[in-house]
Amino acid sequence: MRNNLLSVENFTLRRGAVAVLDDVSLHLPAGQTLALIGESGAGKSTLAFAAMGLLRQPGIGMQGRLMVGDTDVVSAPEKDIRALRGQRMGLIFQDASSALNPCFTVLAHLSEPLRRHRKLGRAACRERAVALLESVGIADPAGRLNAYPHELSGGMQQRVMIAIALACEPELLIADEPTSALDVTIQAQIMTLILDRVRALGASAVFVLHDLALATQVADRAAVMYAGQIVEEGPAAEVLNHPQHPYTRGLRASAIEFGATRLEPIAGVVPPLSAMPGGCRFAPRCPLATSKCTEQRPPRVERGASTLACWHV
Amino acid sequence: MNNALPLFSLLDVEKSFPIDGGRRQLKALDGIRLTLHPGESVALVGESGSGKSTLVRVMLGLEPATNGRVVVGASDLGQLDGPQRRRFARDVAYIYQDARGSLNPRATVAALLAEPIRLHKLRDTREIAGRVDELLDQVGLPRATRHRYPSELSGGQVRRVAVARALACEPKVIVADESVAGLDVSVQAQLLNLLRDLQAGSGLALVFVTHDLGVASYLCERVAVMYLGRIVEMGPTADILQSPRHPYTQALMKAFPRFGAPLTISLQGEIPSPADLPSGCRFRTRCAQVQADCTSIDPAQTLLEPQRHVACLHPLPARTLQPFPTQTTTSEH
Repeated sequence: MRNNLLSVENFTLRRGAVAVLDDVSLHLPAGQTLALIGESGAGKSTLAFAAMGLLRQPGIGMQGRLMVGDTDVVSAPEKDIRALRGQRMGLIFQDASSALNPCFTVLAHLSEPLRRHRKLGRAACRERAVALLESVGIADPAGRLNAYPHELSGGMQQRVMIAIALACEPELLIADEPTSALDVTIQAQIMTLILDRVRALGASAVFVLHDLALATQVADRAAVMYAGQIVEEGPAAEVLNHPQHPYTRGLRASAIEFGATRLEPIAGVVPPLSAMPGGCRFAPRCPLATSKCTEQRPPRVERGASTLACWHV
Repeated sequence: MNNALPLFSLLDVEKSFPIDGGRRQLKALDGIRLTLHPGESVALVGESGSGKSTLVRVMLGLEPATNGRVVVGASDLGQLDGPQRRRFARDVAYIYQDARGSLNPRATVAALLAEPIRLHKLRDTREIAGRVDELLDQVGLPRATRHRYPSELSGGQVRRVAVARALACEPKVIVADESVAGLDVSVQAQLLNLLRDLQAGSGLALVFVTHDLGVASYLCERVAVMYLGRIVEMGPTADILQSPRHPYTQALMKAFPRFGAPLTISLQGEIPSPADLPSGCRFRTRCAQVQADCTSIDPAQTLLEPQRHVACLHPLPARTLQPFPTQTTTSEH
């Protein structure tokens, strides 16, 4: 499986005794885009941050394999991770206004990865920063270099974040809800921009999203997560337009479309991670659940192009 | 329905704020005309900076209008006397954008729900506990929630408490500001169904502020689309979705992510600053259909067809075919 850029195998992440991610397996071929879908607490962002090597901390236990290229983020020495992060991997945070440091200018933000990884000098940084800002569609890029984050609109801040993440031309871009703080018209601009840049670099991208329709528009593949597990994974169009897992179906029936006559939300709420049911974690909210579901963890089964974890498909 | 006296009439309402130390005026609202009849639901839709929340604040009397009139029932909002003012506060319930922030963290849910009942003397003291249980039932919260503090509740539960609190004063109209924003889809759907059922079942009027055209179309029979302080299009939801007449409405609809449609950039650039409004039509800088006279003439909100207001010099032609096939979601469990 040499052509997988991201390869997650039986990956479990614990905070203390609680398994925030439980036996997650996932592969992303180079040059493709993946959407991680699910509600809050599903572990989407945790998986994205773990892949960036940001969760190698005391109190957090990781098992299994989480390979980015040929580096295993679980076991590699910190030196290797630092070479990966910001250089071969870029991260776009959810809320640009709080991710950018209010005390530093746009130029200072863009220079950091360029100095560290590319060893560029002051003048070269400046030149590259102008080119980067231009590539993310910022008008008058040279004039914006000395601006502070608060002087930019939300959409502009997100463009700067994208420029930072792409500064060293990474192979993998991870975007955690890159447009949830933006208006829909700006959302379309920003998502198009990210896709264009990713394609231009021949890179892969992982999007953490909660909007199913948006996911079908931007991703080649989709993985639906529930309570720390992947319940359905496959080609995005297949998984989200013809969902097979009861949870994905429930999400789809909760999603608003123009002309929807009645939404059919999933009953109940996600149980707290400290009190996860045994067997299938979705069983207490699932309309198809039987006693088998509450007792045994469902197997991973292949259905068409998708893989899903359910006893009843 | 339209024979009854409207609950609200906004007549050419304008709201300006002084900026640059009073040397200039920022026009947050301009030429707003809007009526709300009993039992009606209206959504105010627009991007951030379009003036939705300012409009709500003016409607509630939290900010005086700079020009124009806000008429409540038969009298001017600014001229209500004490008892009328209290009556208005009871008839119009407001659900704040930040539901958690609007609830006293030191008060239990029971105390939060009892407060408006006591304040407006709606029940005998002995009956208040029973009324609190009724309200919790109505919004689908277990009765044991009455002993909880807001910090112990999830985001969805907090919004339900805020809805229950609004219902506590038995209002004629609920004004809700982004009440489902930032929730997970399944929780959002639960809350939308709750609001829709409450509104349909009780004859309550609803003013719903949202940036999400999908939410607006699901919840409200009428939509008012705002751009830079003006209502650019207003009419029955189904008609607007079928055939938007203002280019901005059409652009908003195209930008809304849909299953089976490609990602589309429908608008270039960003909303201009309200401190620096474009000359003529305020939308012209981003409009795909812009023509020469748009730079000089500012189109007012005009009645284009029965029940349809549009503020555009060159409105889009009316369409009769259905642009969006109504997909039914898959739920064959």
